[in-house]
Amino acid sequence: MSRDSSLPLLKIYTVEDLPLNTDPEPFIDVGEYDINRPIAIDFGSYNVRAGYTDLSDPNLVFPTRLTRHRDRKVAKTFTFIGNNTRLDQTVRSQSKTPFDGSIITNWDYVEDIMEYTFHHLGVKPNNGVQNPLIINERLACLQSQRQNWYQILFETFNLPKVAFGIDSLFSFYYNTQASNKSNGVVINCSHEETDIIPIVESQPILGECKRINWGGRHSVEFLSDILTLKYPYFPSKLSSFQYEYMYHNFCYTSSNYSKELENLLSLDVLEDKNIVIEVPFTEILQPKKSEEELKRQAEKRKETGKRLQEQAKQRRMERLVQKTEEYEYFSHVREQLIGQPKKTVLSVLQNAGFDDEADFKKYMYNLEKSLKRAQLLEADEHDDNNNDGDDDNNQNKFDLIDIPDSELTEDQIKEKRKQRFLKASYDARQKAKEEKARIAKLEEEARIKDQEWRETNLNSWIKDKRNKLNALIKKRKDKLKLRDEMKDRKSQVAQKRMQNLANLAEDSPRSKRNRHQASIDNDPNDTFGANDEDWDVYNDITQNPEAFDELLEEEYKEIVELEGKLLEYDPNFTEEDTLDAQYDWRNSVYHLFLRGPRPHDSEDPHQQHQMHLNVERIRVPEILFEPTIGGQDQAGIAELCETMVTKKFGSKPSQLSETALQMCKNVWLTGGNSQIPNLRQRIVNEFTSFLPSGTPIGVYISKNPSLDSWRGMSKFAQDEKLLNEAMITRKEYEEYGPDYIKEHKLGNCKYFE
Amino acid sequence: MSSEARLEYLRSIATANVIDSPSPYKSQKHQIKKKVNRRNKAARQLISDEQKRINGLLEASVSEENTQETCKRLVPKVTYFNINAPPSMKPPKKYCDITGLNGPYTSPTNNIRYHNSEIYQLIVKPMAPGTDQEYLKLRGANFVLK
Repeated sequence: MSRDSSLPLLKIYTVEDLPLNTDPEPFIDVGEYDINRPIAIDFGSYNVRAGYTDLSDPNLVFPTRLTRHRDRKVAKTFTFIGNNTRLDQTVRSQSKTPFDGSIITNWDYVEDIMEYTFHHLGVKPNNGVQNPLIINERLACLQSQRQNWYQILFETFNLPKVAFGIDSLFSFYYNTQASNKSNGVVINCSHEETDIIPIVESQPILGECKRINWGGRHSVEFLSDILTLKYPYFPSKLSSFQYEYMYHNFCYTSSNYSKELENLLSLDVLEDKNIVIEVPFTEILQPKKSEEELKRQAEKRKETGKRLQEQAKQRRMERLVQKTEEYEYFSHVREQLIGQPKKTVLSVLQNAGFDDEADFKKYMYNLEKSLKRAQLLEADEHDDNNNDGDDDNNQNKFDLIDIPDSELTEDQIKEKRKQRFLKASYDARQKAKEEKARIAKLEEEARIKDQEWRETNLNSWIKDKRNKLNALIKKRKDKLKLRDEMKDRKSQVAQKRMQNLANLAEDSPRSKRNRHQASIDNDPNDTFGANDEDWDVYNDITQNPEAFDELLEEEYKEIVELEGKLLEYDPNFTEEDTLDAQYDWRNSVYHLFLRGPRPHDSEDPHQQHQMHLNVERIRVPEILFEPTIGGQDQAGIAELCETMVTKKFGSKPSQLSETALQMCKNVWLTGGNSQIPNLRQRIVNEFTSFLPSGTPIGVYISKNPSLDSWRGMSKFAQDEKLLNEAMITRKEYEEYGPDYIKEHKLGNCKYFE
Repeated sequence: MSSEARLEYLRSIATANVIDSPSPYKSQKHQIKKKVNRRNKAARQLISDEQKRINGLLEASVSEENTQETCKRLVPKVTYFNINAPPSMKPPKKYCDITGLNGPYTSPTNNIRYHNSEIYQLIVKPMAPGTDQEYLKLRGANFVLK
């Protein structure tokens, strides 16, 4: 990992939960109260902005949230609204919005929030509120929504006159009123939806408006969903505010999405586009134990280990003796059976409890193997523990073995049994020692031969070793594949195995014709067992996964050994060619996606609490241009604008109308969600791509799009003529009823023509 | 701040916001009337109500047209429904459900789109049952049991 250490550390952004408010919502001191001073309220689904229209900015901006908090001690229910909901953790977590999507569903909350607003604005009430009011409503809002507003404003708050208007049109009005451009397009990216409204000669053409049911809230939720799927085991749960923070601060609209996606996950691009988020956490430090305590613990462990080892040794010994006896007996049987007719062999074996010859072979093979292993182990241990001198002493102790039982006393018989046991183990040890020496000798010979070969003909040696290595690696791969396939019940391998099992379990004997053909039992050419690999068949992976793992481990050791030799002698074989280096996080798309352009240390508590934002940064804002990414079967902003400009208002794709050309020069972005960086540039790119080259384009966004709407209201109120045209008086409401709509240039129009 | 002091502070804030009852901001007449028991309908319900209302009005105008020659037939101009953006005319691009990169391949078992064989091996193939639906839900392609 030496080449990783040179990499500079990445910048880490800590994303904390929203801090609690320290100050409660202020009460506005209005001084001399004037009941003719109009009030504007932009009742958004994210924030409420409210204030007197003769000011340039709203007096109050607070989240559209309300908490009913039950104080059990004083047995009272308190209501917290707006910024006051953020004074306390519990109050904040219980806060709710009156909106369900873009539609108001809880009018009791609205009533409370409105009352709270008037209260904080310092309104002097007199059987209701007496100021004129300007309030927003959604584009093409439901009639029931307007009815409820009428009811609340005229009946509950007893307002004398109210003007309704569409928030995005207020923003457009605020931004373009001074200019002489009368045609344009408003793209309103709000919290709950995205609207596109064409404007011709200062009149909104509501019949041609389009709404995409995707807003900032959806984007934040989408981000939270994809991050939870990306890090399913993330140790802490993030609040919606933290996701919101990430969305606002790290997401941006890509200028060219498909092109940027192509090389986003390459190392050098990630270097500056990958964002590391760390969530605050409390580090747990392991309490340090005193040295004495550690010592005591170690000693205790050692003692227990020793005892257990001894017990295990005892047991092993007993088993070994038993196995040796068995082996001797059956080898004897085998020798006797050589040359006997088939039938006799079978009956002898079946009497001994075997199914057939194959079963016997298998049994013997396994026995032999385990015996060898046990002896080897035994010898190892013995070498470790004892000197050879002990063995000689033992020799003298086996004096009772050759004396028949009848000549011995009871105690001696017991002693004899013990001696027999000890002798057996001693013999086994001797045997193992010999075996070991023999193997060591063989190995030494092979090593010398290998060395000679290397020294005389390096190239052929390298070639041979490389071939061996490749074969080993391939075998390992196949094994891993086999294991994976076995896990999957539907895979071909697993199905074949099931088929075999089913065949074996079949009760009916094979047909006569088959019986006379060579079968596994009587095939003279059957060489099964001659090759060590053949016995792998019995190492069924599904039944004995440990053995399989062991096998893999052994193979891996072999590979490493070979690689070690090649590293030493083959000048073309470098550290990077080894199996371990084959998996390099640099080449792993998944690693780069999940962990960014640095290696990952899963033990580091900081890294455990980190998220990496890369593709998400552009994926989330892209939904406005391709709503299908987020599951909305709708066209995106660009496509809707294209249709509007090139096919409507007298335009044909080949010949754009004057109106359409003017509209392209005056595109305004409003709404809180339009603050996503680079959105303006992207819209410019999109317009450029569908307009004839050289067409002048103007796309604008104001500095604080979320306040524009309220400012538009305040500006609107300065124009007395306009205001009077739009105002609905209580008298009119009482006369025309809740279906009444007063059409004006910034408001909704009638539902029907 | 201790929890008791905190509570006391919250109480003081709440008390400062309490408005007398009957509220001076509201019409006396309205408050004397028995408080309306509003039913809070969900947004979906409200939208379908609107649909019913519009359809009802249209039907009424059609039947009226049949009886009276002079009456003009109603044409919807701007409603919640007809400003809804239409589906895209362009072929949808395919993106990897896991990473968001291009996703040219589709898993035969669970319809997850994926970027390359590595993503398939690491994520799509060993995916726990149910997780695939979570991924598909992102682009609205999950199964919805009704």
